This record gives sequence, structure tokens and C-alpha cells, in this order.
Amino acid sequence: MKMSVKKLATAVSTSIALMGAGHAAAEIQVGIAGPMTGPVAQYGDMQFSGARMAIEQINANGGVMGEKLVAVEYDDVCDPKQAVTVANNLVNDGVRFVVGHLCSSSTQPASDIYEDEGILMVTPASTSPEITERGYELVFRTIGLDSMQGPVAGNYIASLNPERVAIVHDKQQYGEGIATAVRDTLKDKGVEIAMFEGITAGDKDFSSLVTKLKQADVDYVYYGGYHPELGLILRQARQGDLDAVFMGPEGVGNKDINTIAGEAAEGLLVTLPPSFDQKAENQELVKAFEGKGEDPSGPFVLTSYAAVQLIADGIAKAESTDPFDVAAALRSGAYETPIGTVEYDKAGDMKSFEFVVYEWHSDGSKTPVN
Amino acid sequence: MQDLLYFSQQLINGLTIGSTYALIAIGYTMVYGIIGMINFAHGEIYMIGAYTALIAITGLASLGVVWLPLILIVALVCAMIVSSSMGWAVERVAYRPVRGRHRLIPLISAIGMSIFLQNYVHLAQGSRNIGFPALIDGGFTFGSDGAFQMSLSYMQITIFITTLICMTALSLFIARSRTGRACRAVSQDLGMANLLGIDTNRIISATFVIGAALAAVAGLLLGMYYGSVDPLFGFIAGLKAFTAAVLGGIGSIPGAMLGGLILGVSESMTSGYLSGEYKDVVSFGLLILILLFKPTGLLGKPEVEKI
Repeated sequence: MKMSVKKLATAVSTSIALMGAGHAAAEIQVGIAGPMTGPVAQYGDMQFSGARMAIEQINANGGVMGEKLVAVEYDDVCDPKQAVTVANNLVNDGVRFVVGHLCSSSTQPASDIYEDEGILMVTPASTSPEITERGYELVFRTIGLDSMQGPVAGNYIASLNPERVAIVHDKQQYGEGIATAVRDTLKDKGVEIAMFEGITAGDKDFSSLVTKLKQADVDYVYYGGYHPELGLILRQARQGDLDAVFMGPEGVGNKDINTIAGEAAEGLLVTLPPSFDQKAENQELVKAFEGKGEDPSGPFVLTSYAAVQLIADGIAKAESTDPFDVAAALRSGAYETPIGTVEYDKAGDMKSFEFVVYEWHSDGSKTPVN
Repeated sequence: MQDLLYFSQQLINGLTIGSTYALIAIGYTMVYGIIGMINFAHGEIYMIGAYTALIAITGLASLGVVWLPLILIVALVCAMIVSSSMGWAVERVAYRPVRGRHRLIPLISAIGMSIFLQNYVHLAQGSRNIGFPALIDGGFTFGSDGAFQMSLSYMQITIFITTLICMTALSLFIARSRTGRACRAVSQDLGMANLLGIDTNRIISATFVIGAALAAVAGLLLGMYYGSVDPLFGFIAGLKAFTAAVLGGIGSIPGAMLGGLILGVSESMTSGYLSGEYKDVVSFGLLILILLFKPTGLLGKPEVEKI
């Protein structure tokens, strides 16, 4: 981590020297905090790739108010304890803008520290409603909420006229939160919920759960959580001859689920942010990612790009690097980003964000269904 | 009929997982039986066994080998060799230098070893879940169409048979062979065995190696059964197997087998009839209850026979 910071700093100073600027320009540090390692590092890769690209392009266009953005990267392993350590390190390093964190359970404790210390945070991935419910001034996101995503999933399942639906979650803030939102939507629609049960994240044996789902004779199973567990559930469900359609939130929608579940991932339903990389106006950006050998199709790549861009645009609009001024600027205008026009409400949520239902395939591709 | 099928299905689920707990638990119980220490790096040795098996399977597949028995045997042998050498190395590095010191010292060095191995695999293999190919597919189903059907997969049968073979072989080895007799002697009195000309260092190494080899078998079986491995794979399984060993009476080999099966069945019955959320509550509650009334575990006999 230190190495990469040093390398970046060297690269930046070299380029400044080449430009013949003579004196070193001031720099704006942007922290990127997310999982570089651990079971959900796949999502971290999306986040870092998107944020780095945004910083690179903004700097190539002359930076913000003549100053360069410098990335400072932190690994929180998606562990709430580690996230707090990372947040404190950020404070010590004097960073005042953060893109992160990724997992809701990490973002929540870290955001307490950021708010207290006057650091502006934009999370590109945390969908738990509680994060923006506390009236914080410096907390923003470039993604929708579980309270938006849950109803999309619930309404979709209800539209298929299911007989019995089971809801399983991993007892974590994100998983249980979204599972509850789906349950409430289904209940309102009068769908019978046969089961609402938690599993332990990190568990490997789901044969008892599969047997129970089979006994309950459900035709749809909604899973609130991440892909390592759902991948195993899918695979063990196939081995146990369970004949039900599974659905999950964006936390299960990445190609790693295919390496775990294999063929069993075919037909899985996933709610995801729309494929921003398919939009015509983003094609130039997509090419830039492909030129670097990176894949812009992950759900958090362009949300992370947008997070950095919003920080930069906010600074430019406020003409200040004070996080409180930037927060006020973000709340007061509309910003054009690769994820569409972003406008913020008082809480720091986007005024509109759409989730789309996709059908997942065993080769890792997906097709929209609604 | 329906209820009976459901019950049998949960019983099969529990016995499958329980028999693999038992395989891992042997490693804890044997080491404890011989030197009175808990080998906390054992879960990691099991994890390394699973990784080695996966690497061997992938390697063979890329060479174009498709004959299943060959793949399984090569994967098993590779996993056992690598895990055994790990077990041997752990003893040499983390136990032998501190043997005979205060009990806490080897405990700490074993935990250190466990963290080291876990992080080593993190670095060498990445932290993501890696899928394990489903080599043994299919199975039998019982019950009529349209209603609940019980299924017994070939994989589950493989797990039962392999565990049975391993356990029988181990029991015979301990009861009949020269090394097995030496193992029993060392477990009864290390100092006396030493005086009588038994190479105790060799026997202690052998214990670690045998435990590690069985853990490797469990690693391959569970890797295939669950479908994925990650560097934390050994941590929870190790904890459960350790519980199984304590439940059955640590130091007693039949105790480890019994403890594993009880733990597996109680877990699957709890998730089947109560809720998956209470699985660990019931299992560990059971452990506390048994230890309250029988502190040596179900089959543990204090100071008489530890192995």
C-alpha cells in the first residue's frame, strides 16, 4: 500500500517536473477505502479500478482548480473493525475526501469517524438505508438504497405469481436489511412467505437448509447477502434436487459466483444497478478501461468513477477544498456523471436511482428481464 | 412417511458432515493424547490439504486426464503428502523447540503457526473463494414424485465409505502395529517410554503426520462436497472438529469419532427443525452441558488411556 502511494507520488512529481511547472503544485488527496483482500475483494477491484481511472482522467484534464488529485488507498477487508482502523489512519494522514467504503457494515462505523473529523465520504456501493438516516452532513452515495432495491426484487417475484417464497439472509446489516425489504414488499402483495431464516456468513454446509427448502416446497428463494454463500447454496441445492428459482441483490452478481456454483448459477435472478457501461455516452470511457485491460462492466466500477468525479466537481463548484463547502455544493446542483445526472437530497442520497432485474448465466454473462 | 423421509434426509446430512468433523478431530485428539497440547494449526493443515487436492485436480485436468479414479487417487495422495509434511514441519518448528516449557508457550506458537499458514495461503492463492469441480455427481432418490424426495448422493456415500476405511485403518494401526503400540506407550508415560528405548521424538512426529494425513482426506472430501475453498476454510472446520474432540473426550480416538457424529447430527437437526440461526447455539450448548456433567467428555478417561 505504502509502495503504491510512493509510486504515485513519484509519478506525479515526475510529470510535474516534465511539465516544467518549476514549483510543486498543491495536491488534493482522495482516499479510496475498500476491500483489497478478503472474501469480497472482487468488488474492491471494481471500486479501485473505477476510482483510479477517474483520478487519472481528471488529472489528465488539468486536475481540479489547478491541483492534482492523488489517490491514497486503504484496505478494510470488508471488516467493520478494520474499517474503523482505516478511518483513523485516513484522519491521521490528513485525507479529507474518501471514496468508500464498500460493505455497508464497514461504511457505517467508518462514517461516524468521518463525520466527526470533517471528512467527506462518498460510498459507491453501500446500499443500507441506515447509513444516510442519521442526518450526517458529509455522507453521500452514488448507489441506490436497499429500500429501493428490495421493492424491485419483491415486485418482480410477486409478478411471477409464486405459490410459496422463502427468504434467507446472512444476518449482516446488508443482507438482513435487504431481505427484510423484500419480505415487506411481498407481504404487501399478499404472497405467502414460507420461511424467513438466517445463515452464518462463512459457513460452508447448507445441506440442512436445502432439505428444509425442499420440504417447504417453495418455488422462489430470495437470498440477502454476498456471493460466497449463495454460490454454495446454489450448488448444494442442485445436488439436493431442489427445484426453485433463486434471486439475490447486487452483492451476489459477479463472476465469482460462477466459479463456485458452476452450472447451478444458470437462471439466477439478480437486481443490479443498470449496466452503465452499455450507455452510448459512456463508450469512450469504456474504451479507456479496455485500453488498460480492465473490465468496466462490474456494478461498482462506474459508481466509483462517479464518486471521484463528484468530489472533483463539488470542489470546483464550491471553489474550496473544505469538505463542508463541498458537501453544500453537492446538495445544491445537478452533476453529469457516467451514472447519469446526479442530484442529492438532504440526506445525501441520490434523488433517483434505478435497479434492474437481470438473469444470470453460467458463463458469467447476464441478460435484463424487465 | 413424509416426516420420516425428511428426518432421514437431515440425519444423512448430519452424518455426512459429522464424519468429516471426526476425520479432522482425530488430529486434535491424537496430538493431545500424546503430548497434552492442542495443535491449533490443525485446521490450516486441513485447508492446505483441500488446496493441494484442488491444484492436483486442476493440473491433471489440464494434462487431459479424465479417468475419475486416477484423478481422485492422485489428488488424495498429493494432498496427504503435502499436508503430512506440513504437519511434520509444524511439529518441528512450533512444538519441538518449546516442548517441556510452560503449557502456554506451545499454545501461542501453534496459534502463530496457524496465522502464518492462513496468511501464506492468502498470498499464494489469493483470498477469493475458488470453485472445486463437482467430480462425483448424481445419486439415489427415495420417495414418490410430487412430494418430498429424499436424496442420497454418491458424494455422500463416498464420504461415508472413505471415513469408515480411514477409521478402521487407524484403529488397526494403533492396536496392532509396532508404531501404534509405541504411540500408546508414549501417551501413557512419555518419560518412561523414552527410558525403555522408544524414540519418542519419532513417535510424536508420527502423530502429527497421521493427524495431518487424515485432515487432508477430509480436505479433499469436503472441498468436493461443499464446492469451494478459501483461506479461511480451515478456521471454522477446525473449531468444530476441536469441539467434536472435546465432546467425545479429548485424547480418545473413538471419542473423536463419536463426538464428530453427534456434533454433525445435532447441527443438521437444529437447522432442520428449529432454524439455521440456532445451529451453533445448540451445538455449543450441548458441549457445555456434556462438560458440566462429564468434564472428560463422553469417552474420555482421565489419566488411564489417552489414545
